[in-house]
Amino acid sequence: MNPEPFFQLDRVIHEKGRMAIMSMLAASADLSFTELRDALGMTDGNLTTHIRTLQEAGYLSVTKSFQNNRSLTTCSLTRAGRQAFANYINLLEQIVRETRSNEQ
Amino acid sequence: MESNWATGHLQVIRTLMERSAVYRRALAPVMTSNGVLGTAAAAVGLAARIEAPRAFIGYWMAVALVGVAGSFLLARRQALKDAEPFWSPPTRRVAQALLPPLLFGFVLGLLLVVRGGSLGGGAPGPALCLFWLPLVWIALYGCALHAAGFFMPRGMKIFGWALVLASSVIGAAGAFGRFDWAEPPLFGNGVMGLVFGLAHLAYGVYLYFTEQSGNET
Repeated sequence: MNPEPFFQLDRVIHEKGRMAIMSMLAASADLSFTELRDALGMTDGNLTTHIRTLQEAGYLSVTKSFQNNRSLTTCSLTRAGRQAFANYINLLEQIVRETRSNEQ
Repeated sequence: MESNWATGHLQVIRTLMERSAVYRRALAPVMTSNGVLGTAAAAVGLAARIEAPRAFIGYWMAVALVGVAGSFLLARRQALKDAEPFWSPPTRRVAQALLPPLLFGFVLGLLLVVRGGSLGGGAPGPALCLFWLPLVWIALYGCALHAAGFFMPRGMKIFGWALVLASSVIGAAGAFGRFDWAEPPLFGNGVMGLVFGLAHLAYGVYLYFTEQSGNET
């Protein structure tokens, strides 16, 4: 078993909450803070913390606007975020393939 | 062991990505146009006194077909405008969720029109066709919207629930003699216009003001 792919996994994404956020955003152009919070069942504080971590890694951009006199926070993946997420999935698939080939 | 967690992670990612792909295409225009259609059809039905049971059923089934066709055209136009595939996975899931209750409602109406006289003896009466059938149609439509609501913005499930509850309450009121059975023609066209017309119109206007830009994610 080659341990290399496991150690290459992006530690920013390889956390349950952040992986969920990245997954949701990977399938969407953008999602509002409320949509993410409701879909993932996170608290406001928890989601904010994860978003900040992803933002600092350059994987996520946050846009603030106003809609019907209410502030609207929208999140979307950056180009680097999409690339990092694609790499993360490739590595997971590689781990699955290698483990299965070793088992046979 | 490692394969298990990696497979688990991939499965979670796939599920979340599917859940994220919520259907939002042209909801406000679809709701508004169906609202206008339903209101106009009810007005015509009342003015032209479309009261004979079979004529009433046939008329509203034709209106429903026009509404469904119009909805598809609006969704397709929006997809073309956004350079997206029309028959996308979210669209497919919504169509699959809508189909069973809508199909049953259509078949039920068709059976009453074609074989009404043979069902339980005698021609279908006004109470059945102009009171109970509209309520069944509304409830089935509510079930369809509720099922589709799992792949659409949350409000759609609430709208579906509201229709099911409204038809249940009106049905109970009818069963306990709160309606004058001499008035089913007025009730039939009236309730169809109220639910398939004004309620859609109100929801469509609400969506216009609250929907985020962008359609299908």
